[in-house]
Amino acid sequence: MTGMKTFLMPSRRRFLKTAGAAVTASLAAPYIVRAQEKILYVNTWGGPWEAAAKANLIDPFTAETGIQVKTVSPVSFAKLAQQVKTGTYEFDVTTLGGGELVRANQAGIIEELEASYEGGLFENGVASHAFATILAWRTDKYKEAPKTWADFWNVEKFPGGRSLQRYASRVIPIALLADGVAVKDLYPLDVDRAFKSLDKIKPHVRVWWTAGAQSTQILRDGEIDMIGIWHGRYFEAEKAGAPVAMTWNQGEIERAYWVVAKDTPNLENAKKFVEFATSAKPLAGFSKAADYGALNPASNEFVSAEDAKRMPTSPENYPLTFEQDMANFGIDPAELAERFEEWVAS
Amino acid sequence: MGMSLSRLTEKTNIWPWLLLAPLGIYMLIFFVVPLADVAIMSFTEPRVSLANYERVLTGALYQRVFVNTFLTAAFVTLCCLAVGYPLAYLMAHSKPRTAMLILLLVTMSFWTSFLVRTYSWMVLLGNNGPLIAFLQMIGIDQPPQLLFTRFSSTLAMVHILAPYMIMNVYSVMKKIDPVLIRSAESLGARGWSLFRHVYLPLTAPGIANGSVLVFVICLGFYVTPVLLGSPREQMIAGLIGHQIDEFLAFGMGSAMAMVLLVVTLIILTIYHRRFGLDKLWG
Repeated sequence: MTGMKTFLMPSRRRFLKTAGAAVTASLAAPYIVRAQEKILYVNTWGGPWEAAAKANLIDPFTAETGIQVKTVSPVSFAKLAQQVKTGTYEFDVTTLGGGELVRANQAGIIEELEASYEGGLFENGVASHAFATILAWRTDKYKEAPKTWADFWNVEKFPGGRSLQRYASRVIPIALLADGVAVKDLYPLDVDRAFKSLDKIKPHVRVWWTAGAQSTQILRDGEIDMIGIWHGRYFEAEKAGAPVAMTWNQGEIERAYWVVAKDTPNLENAKKFVEFATSAKPLAGFSKAADYGALNPASNEFVSAEDAKRMPTSPENYPLTFEQDMANFGIDPAELAERFEEWVAS
Repeated sequence: MGMSLSRLTEKTNIWPWLLLAPLGIYMLIFFVVPLADVAIMSFTEPRVSLANYERVLTGALYQRVFVNTFLTAAFVTLCCLAVGYPLAYLMAHSKPRTAMLILLLVTMSFWTSFLVRTYSWMVLLGNNGPLIAFLQMIGIDQPPQLLFTRFSSTLAMVHILAPYMIMNVYSVMKKIDPVLIRSAESLGARGWSLFRHVYLPLTAPGIANGSVLVFVICLGFYVTPVLLGSPREQMIAGLIGHQIDEFLAFGMGSAMAMVLLVVTLIILTIYHRRFGLDKLWG
């Protein structure tokens, strides 16, 4: 991303500074002011995510350190890259998924960080919380519960409509497990074998879902009978009273990491925030409120046994699941996505 | 004498430009410069080459999605016209109270978030929705799948975009001088002939305006077709978004955006040669 400068950039920035001050002073004011104040800007997903972050991470952080925090949403990976390129910072810290983190670190758009707990650092992101793509189904459709992704693929034993996320790097490992690959042999991914496996289930996939709310809706309303869905979205359907059940077995865990935007003027406070947000108690509270699993093992002691049942990272559930291995993925995720899009639409 | 006249014209010439200046500067900073930046990135990211364009123009995925995007936009435009024209006619030629009621219904739908409208169609057309229940009630045992098809995504896009067509056609119909119709009738024009030779040409600017607006907005759609259609209904805006927000492939995304822009401009130019884009402004 350091090579992203185009020759227009310097002149545009200079132009913006002069023209911006004169013509659009009122428009640009928040950004000019913000460089002087020492307010920390945190990028959030908005909605319930932001509410959970505010109550458990942001407000306690301000109470402890006196550092003012404001939020900016939604989360945008592209904006993180643009900020470094333009030198205009809308936010100082944000969260990234594993695949994005690897790309961001390679592109040099995030600051070097230190582990705030043992084993917490990966590619200059501090592991915070995790979600899982799990197997869920309609209990009014199946008397016997499916247990594995192989059962998901078994349309003779479990006839009915299926749904998976239209997201290559999440679906490919699942397709390999369904085809009989053991978790320990999953990475690097055997992409050709995965697509052969996907060919078998394709006619039965009624919906390739693309938005979280959509996945809850089709499960709750019975548009499909079996689905690969994020665990938080599953619990929403359960809470709404739909006849549904799920298993943590072969759940696919993905981690979210806190990162700090490269060269931000708020570097020290940003690092302090990341350390605070991944410390045991705040992280436990946030994970519970936002339906995630905390990745700092010390958080477990702040989670009740009842809440732990809903977390993919609890000592009971975690051994049943497997993790995305972005460091050993086996194929460029962008190339994989292109092939998958081609396949899904043909 | 000659001096003062020339000074006068100079003065009157400068005023329109001064009035345009705020908008001009705004457009320059926030539209022309970023667009130029996108154009440059399409050739320079990740390195200086034509590789991005080669991949966009020859990759089977991109070709198919481009063709689908333009065909979908054209079809949705036709549907909006077919639905919108009669409704606009009804509005323009009914009693003020009825016209207000229709206008209210159209604008209410217009003001509702398009995401809400998209999810509403999911509920209406779903397996357990009212439409399927109705079909089963009247004795159709195996009702067709309505949701997640080209039918459902087209229906929703027409619903979302029809107000643009209706408003444009309506505003032109409202301005038609009734005397023109009466004089046409006095000259013997009736029914189809009256419509074909008098009414339709008079409403053409509204049709042109509405069609261009619907077509261009539709080119940028992606949430609705992806949520309501099958994977085959993918539009190009979705792919551009993927490239940039997921893979930081600013070069690929920019190249796709430039191809979309150029093809759109070509279509509008052909349209202009044929019908005159200036008619857009009545």
